[in-house]
Amino acid sequence: MNISVTIGSATFKNPVTVASGTFGHTEKYYDLEEVKQLGALTPKTVTLKAREGNPPPRIVETPSGMLNAIGIENPGADGFIRTKLPALKKIGIPLIISILGHTDNEFELLTEKFNAAGGVSALELNLSCPNLGKAVLVAQDPLATHRVVKAVKKISRYPVIAKLAPNVTDITEIAKAAEEAGADGVSLVNTFSAMVIDVKKRASVLGNVTGGLSGPAIRPMAVHMVYAAAKKIKIPIIAMGGIMAAEDALQFLIAGATMVAVGTANFINPRAPLDVLEGIKAYMRKNKIKDIKEIIGSLRN
Amino acid sequence: MSEIDQSMRKIQGIYKVASNEKLCPKFYRLCIDAQPIAKKVLPGQFIHIRTKDGFEPFFRRPFSVYRAKKHVEVFYEVVGPGTKIMSHMAKGDDIDVLGPLGTPFTFPPKGTKQVVMVAGGIGIAPFLMLSDVLCRERATALRGAELILLYGGRTRGHVYPMKEFKENGCQVHVATDDGSVGTKGRVSELFPKIHADRKTTFLYTCGPAPMMASVQAFAKKHGLHGEAACEEVMACALGACLGCSIKTTKGYKTVCCDGPVFDLHEVIFNH
Repeated sequence: MNISVTIGSATFKNPVTVASGTFGHTEKYYDLEEVKQLGALTPKTVTLKAREGNPPPRIVETPSGMLNAIGIENPGADGFIRTKLPALKKIGIPLIISILGHTDNEFELLTEKFNAAGGVSALELNLSCPNLGKAVLVAQDPLATHRVVKAVKKISRYPVIAKLAPNVTDITEIAKAAEEAGADGVSLVNTFSAMVIDVKKRASVLGNVTGGLSGPAIRPMAVHMVYAAAKKIKIPIIAMGGIMAAEDALQFLIAGATMVAVGTANFINPRAPLDVLEGIKAYMRKNKIKDIKEIIGSLRN
Repeated sequence: MSEIDQSMRKIQGIYKVASNEKLCPKFYRLCIDAQPIAKKVLPGQFIHIRTKDGFEPFFRRPFSVYRAKKHVEVFYEVVGPGTKIMSHMAKGDDIDVLGPLGTPFTFPPKGTKQVVMVAGGIGIAPFLMLSDVLCRERATALRGAELILLYGGRTRGHVYPMKEFKENGCQVHVATDDGSVGTKGRVSELFPKIHADRKTTFLYTCGPAPMMASVQAFAKKHGLHGEAACEEVMACALGACLGCSIKTTKGYKTVCCDGPVFDLHEVIFNH
């Protein structure tokens, strides 16, 4: 059975990774032998300078999902490279490093830092975090998306993946802009902008007022976006959006995704990424599928 | 009872409910047959519970461990959909538990002569296990230090019988908002019971933020040291999502991994 997939020059032994910002403290809680089974690890987004994140409360439960407004709390690129990257490299599976610059130049500086650090399989450009108080996200503007991807692509020694926002009229336009700028892949989708109001206090529950919705609540919309984008672009798609089990991941693969990322499910079932991987293999065995490529984009209607 | 075979996490297990009972009009106690957790857990640590498959409610729920003897015990109040489902669990039901998680209370420093636990409402939860350990060490490491529990509740039905604390040798003082039991007023009415000596008094507190803020202010005034067990809505409880961060004098800290037990003077309660 072949379940390996490629994005640009990077090869992954299987199509399952974790969504950025949902997987941490690897050494403390995980059995590393099991983590090694995943196709790739995608740590939380790194910015050029350290960020302390948004004021609490940062999360709230919603029907079949959650809102978060963490605000990219992270130690900054230098801190990450010094304190987190060595342990992540040691795990020995491909790393997809998520980076976020507040300007084009910051994206370039981040790329140079990870070029120098080495040991990375791909860069994922977070063009779509909804929690940083920006009026317009890069991923809401095809020209800006094109510009940032092109700038990073020019200097990156790694394949470049653009992570896009679902908060757009037509995500296929943005995906197309990323492809035309030379992206090796796109990640679909980041969280949906959303809010919950406490009616007793007449105040938004989140400290940041608005947040991003994730979990099973967004899955059908994310599946549709992957399906629509896959028809318009040729580069691979990493799909995420409420994948809780293998069947959810298979929906995305059938819709046209090459890889899947398990995100919010990690918070409920820490075994979810492995369950998803096992479930995909079981589905292939049951349906006598020899290569994962036979599933990707195999929608019959 | 079995730990999930070759669990991805070293800490996840599916266990059986041993019992689940209503202790008083407001509070319940759930006992879980979870020996691996019972053996490891320290006072102040917590477990993260999922009561059933499916995604309503969506998050797991974190609970301080109330006691860990034969079973792992959780003391809880029904406040929302998660605890409502929990209140209907019965002996033999499966329960999915992560734990033990978080930082425990530290042992009172050498020279402590008075250990004071200040609890409000369901904030009593981590203190029975703490008092179990303190009681065990009282004659030896604690050199006979006094154990005091100051407990504040809204009304009679919110006051859990304090028998176990008394059995552990704690002096128990209660305040209720309506005066139906003990002193009328907030738990701060009981602060005069504290000897308040900077070298020999050590405080632990857990409860609503305004109550813990009052303990912090009292401690500051008298130069006392102590620890606070904090609470925040949690998703992963494993330090991954950074959702449960609270403000501290050292920046944002996660309740799940950096806490739930913090230095009393480090927490900024008025957010």
